[in-house]
Amino acid sequence: MTADSPRARLVTLRDGRQVTVRAVKGSDEAEIVRAFDRLSADSKYLRFMVHQKKLNPAALEAGLHPVPGRAFVFVATVPSSDGYEIVGAAQYVPADDRETGTRDSSDSSNSSESSEISDSRDINDKGRVCEFAITLAEAWRGSGLAVHLLASLVRRSRRDGYRSMEGHVIAANRPMLALARKLRFEVAPDPADATVVRVERQLAPAKRPWRVQLDAS
Amino acid sequence: MARTAEKTVSGATSHGLSSTLAVSPPLCASHVNSGRTGRIASSWLDHVPHGKHLPGPSQAKPWLAHYPKGIPTEIDLDEYASLKELLSLTCGRFAEFPAFESMGHAMTFRQLDVASRSFAAWLQKTAKLQRGDRVALAMPNLLQYPVALFGILRAGLVVVNTNPLYTPREFEHQLNDSGAKVIVVLENFAATLSKVVASTAVQTVITTQVGDMLPPVRRWLTNAVVRHVKKMVPPWQMDNTVAFNDVLSIGRDLALDEVALGHDDLAFLQYTGGTTGTPKAAMLSHGNMVANVLQVAAWVGRDLQDGVETLVIPLPLYHVFALTGALAFFSKGTRAVLIANPRDMPDFMKTLDRSRPTALIGVNTLFRALLDAPGFAALDWSRLKLAVAGGMAVQKVVAQRWKDATGVPLVEGYGMTESAPVAIANPVDIVQWSGQIGLPLPSTEAVILDEDAKPVAIGSTGEIALRGPQVMQGYWLHPEETAAAFTTDGWLLTGDMGVMDEQGRFRITDRKKDMIVVSGFKVFPNEIEDVLALHPGVLEAAAIGVADVRTGEAVKVLVVRRDAQLDEAALLAHCRVNLTGYKVPRFVEFRSEALPKSAIGKVLRRALRDEDRAAVDRQAPGSTATPGPRK
Repeated sequence: MTADSPRARLVTLRDGRQVTVRAVKGSDEAEIVRAFDRLSADSKYLRFMVHQKKLNPAALEAGLHPVPGRAFVFVATVPSSDGYEIVGAAQYVPADDRETGTRDSSDSSNSSESSEISDSRDINDKGRVCEFAITLAEAWRGSGLAVHLLASLVRRSRRDGYRSMEGHVIAANRPMLALARKLRFEVAPDPADATVVRVERQLAPAKRPWRVQLDAS
Repeated sequence: MARTAEKTVSGATSHGLSSTLAVSPPLCASHVNSGRTGRIASSWLDHVPHGKHLPGPSQAKPWLAHYPKGIPTEIDLDEYASLKELLSLTCGRFAEFPAFESMGHAMTFRQLDVASRSFAAWLQKTAKLQRGDRVALAMPNLLQYPVALFGILRAGLVVVNTNPLYTPREFEHQLNDSGAKVIVVLENFAATLSKVVASTAVQTVITTQVGDMLPPVRRWLTNAVVRHVKKMVPPWQMDNTVAFNDVLSIGRDLALDEVALGHDDLAFLQYTGGTTGTPKAAMLSHGNMVANVLQVAAWVGRDLQDGVETLVIPLPLYHVFALTGALAFFSKGTRAVLIANPRDMPDFMKTLDRSRPTALIGVNTLFRALLDAPGFAALDWSRLKLAVAGGMAVQKVVAQRWKDATGVPLVEGYGMTESAPVAIANPVDIVQWSGQIGLPLPSTEAVILDEDAKPVAIGSTGEIALRGPQVMQGYWLHPEETAAAFTTDGWLLTGDMGVMDEQGRFRITDRKKDMIVVSGFKVFPNEIEDVLALHPGVLEAAAIGVADVRTGEAVKVLVVRRDAQLDEAALLAHCRVNLTGYKVPRFVEFRSEALPKSAIGKVLRRALRDEDRAAVDRQAPGSTATPGPRK
């Protein structure tokens, strides 16, 4: 955790359940792996858009140690008999070049090249656009947790100096699209691929205080 | 890619039994009226009204003004209370007429009535099944199929259609998900079933041989040839099995308790893939099926005469399109000629020549194969009135060649398992291929919705959504998936993108649902990737659809190896163990780099498809091949 990491917050959800939302820690590794393994195949597919049996070690590493000021990972936890359990995670990273959208910087198993590119870009042009992803355990869908996590990502990424946040959503994932709309993301079908929808929101510093309040609600 | 392709094509299609009987699809059907089902269906119905339950404002239906003359705008759902009633009324009306024919032998409506009654009584009295219990069918198009189908429905039970060419893995999932207590299986596939039956709820396996419904001498001869000469029956061993013909002879002496069935009673659990590929069953009620039978019969029936038509069905009846189509023709007293294996083209040709059909139902792939078959030109099509294609997009070239060769247009229908299946179809009086899927059927509403589920302006693109009495009750045991399939206004979301013109004609432009349609059968990338990931030599893999002249689309997989020694043959062998034929990848490409991903690690298939297209273009300059998004 970096010095300016947000403190852990206890959040009461619509259905009365409580979760703790905090920044990820290196010691979350085992719990993240367990949380991933508990997800259904469908949930994993919605997150990675390909069948994913095991969490990629490089992705796990990147997720556990987000580079301060560039990337961030929130986890939502609940107490369990042996400590705690992760029931949701939300993260953002610097987005790829808009046109190609194909470079792999977060879980590359192959490229020194890609880290070089992302490093140089981050120095020269500190993350104008970031890409986000949210994953929830099945039992926590529809609880309002996702809204809370996405709103947290929006606030945090704005502080990191990003100008806009984007995400790729499976077109059939209507709950996620509804959530994005709720938080004023623009939803634009990809003309080249109807199976995926791109959502984007400008992160220009809020001029009116009520916006901030709405985000926090 | 093309080089790899050639090699793989033969490998992927020539395995064992798949070439001997039946095509290869997955959609399923079965029915139930257990308390459990009823609760699921009605609980979400309370929230998501659809079809006849809809109180909402009536939608403008511009298509009605463009119906061919004589086609009703509405059907009378009360014509039949259930499929059981449809069966009994039809069998009474056409008693001595031939109902189904297979391998040159016809079964009359009366014989079907008697045999299905015996089958039903056995299920009730000997198997002791209760109303709403599920019975699975794993058979190609043989006379046993309609006997078992109607027997199950008459007994108040639910039909679970399975593809007999399933691998053990696929059988196990569907049998467990449906909770089927009895399965009827052609012996040729019993060895596969035997590997998993113990880990399912199946209590009794009814086995049948190819010739079981043939007259005694031919029966003996056919069964002996299949078993001993063609060696098409791998040895198998299972407990609690009973022979199909024993079921019929025992059932003949048992009383059948009449079950009062209504529109709301479950008739079929018809399996289809979900958004992300996990197979799940659409619950099709008697009302859904009666509605679509009446709708299809009204649409195509104008020029058909009761009791005189001959329909040839090369598409397996476990495919919902063939099933409903066959039932629609059945209701008009049609002689339906069943083709067990349309891949045996010489035999198929002989049957066509002998039966001289007045109607034919199939998929584009099949019509193309027919047109390309030696001897096709010599066939006499003078009696043909109607050729109906569904399951996948009809290609212009196929439609034109068909019209030129037979003088009859190829009429394309559109729908999905969830709508029993036909919802939109081209009028039967079209003169040529239009590139459209047509007009909504009687009593059916279709609309184009935007991302917010609001109707778009005429001519704008959006997702096609459907309402009507044929729309399913929901997904079996998946209330969340059910809720996601409908809008709050009760529209069934199809996952297809399209446009409606001013005349109310619909055209498909793209597919929102990530799936690949191979010869009319849906393949979900997630399932293929799941199977690939089971192989220890695979690091990561993605499946995409690529255009294919023969099958419309074909499965291509992009694989990053963990084990550098892994080769295509080994990977395909692994796939064949776990995937039925049409799902097995046609093209395999090994990649040395990780799959392209977005910054946060999402695999963007567009990038994969673009790369694939670029590769094709490089190999074949001027090639127009593009991945086809259409269903």
